[in-house]
Amino acid sequence: MATLEVKNLHVSVTDEETKQTKEILKGVNLEMKTGEIHAIMGPNGTGKSTLSQTIMGQPGYTVTEGEILLNGENILNMPVDERARKGLFLAMQYPAEIQGVTNAEFLRAAINARRDKDDQISVMDFIKKLDRNLALLDMDESMTERYLNEGFSGGEKKRNEILQLLMIEPSFAILDEIDSGLDIDALKVVSKGVNSMRGANFGSLIITHYQRLLNYIVPDTVHVMMGGKIVKTGDAELAKKLEAEGYAGLRDELGLDVQLVDDNH
Amino acid sequence: MTQDVQAIADQLEEASHQHGEPYSLLDRRLEALEMMKKLPMPRMTRYRFNDWPLLSDQPLTFEDSDPKLATGLIDQDPDVIRIVQVGQTTTTVQLPEELRKKGVILTDIFSAARIHPRLIERFFMNRVVKPDENKLTAAHLAYLNAGIFLYVPKGVEIDTPIEAEIIQDATKDQPLNSHLLIVAEAQSKLHFLQHLQTVGDKTVPANMMVEIVAQEGSTVAFSSLDELGENTHVYFKRRANIGRDAHVDWAVGLMNDGDTLGDMDSELISQGGYADAKAIAVTTGAQKMAVTNRVTNRGKQTTGLINQRGVLLEQSELIFNGIGQIVHGAHGAKADQQNRVLMMSGDAHGDANPILLIDENDVVAGHAASVGPVDPEQMYYLMSRGIDRATAERMVIRGFLGSVLTVIPAKNVRDKMVAILERKLADGQKY
Repeated sequence: MATLEVKNLHVSVTDEETKQTKEILKGVNLEMKTGEIHAIMGPNGTGKSTLSQTIMGQPGYTVTEGEILLNGENILNMPVDERARKGLFLAMQYPAEIQGVTNAEFLRAAINARRDKDDQISVMDFIKKLDRNLALLDMDESMTERYLNEGFSGGEKKRNEILQLLMIEPSFAILDEIDSGLDIDALKVVSKGVNSMRGANFGSLIITHYQRLLNYIVPDTVHVMMGGKIVKTGDAELAKKLEAEGYAGLRDELGLDVQLVDDNH
Repeated sequence: MTQDVQAIADQLEEASHQHGEPYSLLDRRLEALEMMKKLPMPRMTRYRFNDWPLLSDQPLTFEDSDPKLATGLIDQDPDVIRIVQVGQTTTTVQLPEELRKKGVILTDIFSAARIHPRLIERFFMNRVVKPDENKLTAAHLAYLNAGIFLYVPKGVEIDTPIEAEIIQDATKDQPLNSHLLIVAEAQSKLHFLQHLQTVGDKTVPANMMVEIVAQEGSTVAFSSLDELGENTHVYFKRRANIGRDAHVDWAVGLMNDGDTLGDMDSELISQGGYADAKAIAVTTGAQKMAVTNRVTNRGKQTTGLINQRGVLLEQSELIFNGIGQIVHGAHGAKADQQNRVLMMSGDAHGDANPILLIDENDVVAGHAASVGPVDPEQMYYLMSRGIDRATAERMVIRGFLGSVLTVIPAKNVRDKMVAILERKLADGQKY
């Protein structure tokens, strides 16, 4: 069993042009184990993506306080690639496009990066695994010879993120708004992919605005984030309640002094 | 001094006779020798190379090179269309009988001068590149000592790439003045794939010229993989005259280990011509490279595209000039260019200069240029999958160079280029 703990995490970003620093996360606490699916919901601009990028190690975010422990080990000083090899995965909202590098080549490099030099995956094993996962995600085989994300539609990019997840098999996958821009069919396919990973050796942190995704990937725990903190934690029912009452309702119920970005009042 | 000049001319004449060259070629050599006295060295925008030893003081000699020098450098394949030259020696010519019967000519330039004098007189350094352009073009003709002639008659389409393996013999202290002349007659179609390599490590200049005559409606795809040696000082000039509705695609990989100065020119001389000039370069060590890629729109509705990408490692220096010129009267012409260089080391010097010279109103022209480090977004993405920084960097660079790599027709050449690239990058990353 692997564990991921976020303790009193404070994160700020600096605007490149104005040089002004702004605190986004103001003391986030979160604990999860493999075998569990957690969802983080929250209004726009509340720091959900900041949390996911900081766990992964995006260099643009500065941790000013707190720690992130993976299996008890603080990972804050580790570069991104090392965190990935230790078992973290982030399905990105806006994956980069890389011309000249095929999807297949990239996937092999990613798989082999976490294996020993003298224990690299064989071509046969790789192809078998790839074919199985392509079929599961209803993806065409030609996707593998295309250049990484280049010219992919929004939906193709999301599927490709999940394909990577299935191929790499991390301990913890953070899915950052994997549902945005997906039609209902694609949403079902993506959910099927994630659900196929469910088990004792896999945990996931799902970041979403909407409850809809959670009908397909039913979480064990739901956290609500507002104003850079987790303000409420509950089970799958919490997501349904939010869907019905909205974030403003919960904010007022909890008596929080938080400005919602899309708050017109 | 006068005597020296006379002695040089006499030597040239003697060597040409010994070599059994027709008088027409000898006369042109002597004319060119005369021109050399007055002509300046080539000039390059924003670059100085005065101290490069690009001119040799060696007399013209013809010496055979040992064909065995090519061992291990070339894969043997009897089924490809191919010409191999080691130094001045042509070791292989493979041209299917069927193409020969259609009138296709693939031979060394001196045989062509003897057997096809009309064609050589008409096209060789006469229409596309002229000897009086600068001292090095004149020297090229005066001291020409190797070359290839390809002639594709009207309407003949060749689907298999035609390969030229040119191996500079630097085991000898002898300059290489090598000329490739490609004539694609009207409505013909061909792919040409040139591969330049060096054996030996003598410090010598190589003056490598390519002339392409693309007649009306013809299609020429020209790829070149240049990997000349560290001690070879390279001057190259590659130019195409592109006729009415003709189409020329360049895909050039500049992977020489030594100092390199060169021009690529696409002359869109007639209506509806199209040129796409792609080049990539990787520089390492203390190497210097300066390349000018020029497209000139003369005809109406012509299209000229330039895409140059360079990667600089260690203390190397790379200048990419892109010149898009639209002359007066070229209505409806289109010129677009990209010049981008990626700096992999703080000690490297890179420059990307787009230059647009436009003398007509009714045209579309654009340019983009960039000089900078690898894209951090791409690096983050690859590394977030566990790929280490050095490998991720190499992948991003390959992506950056992908626009040229992907258009090279032969997979084995593409793979070779990737392999050279990987080696240079891996070496450069240790810096």
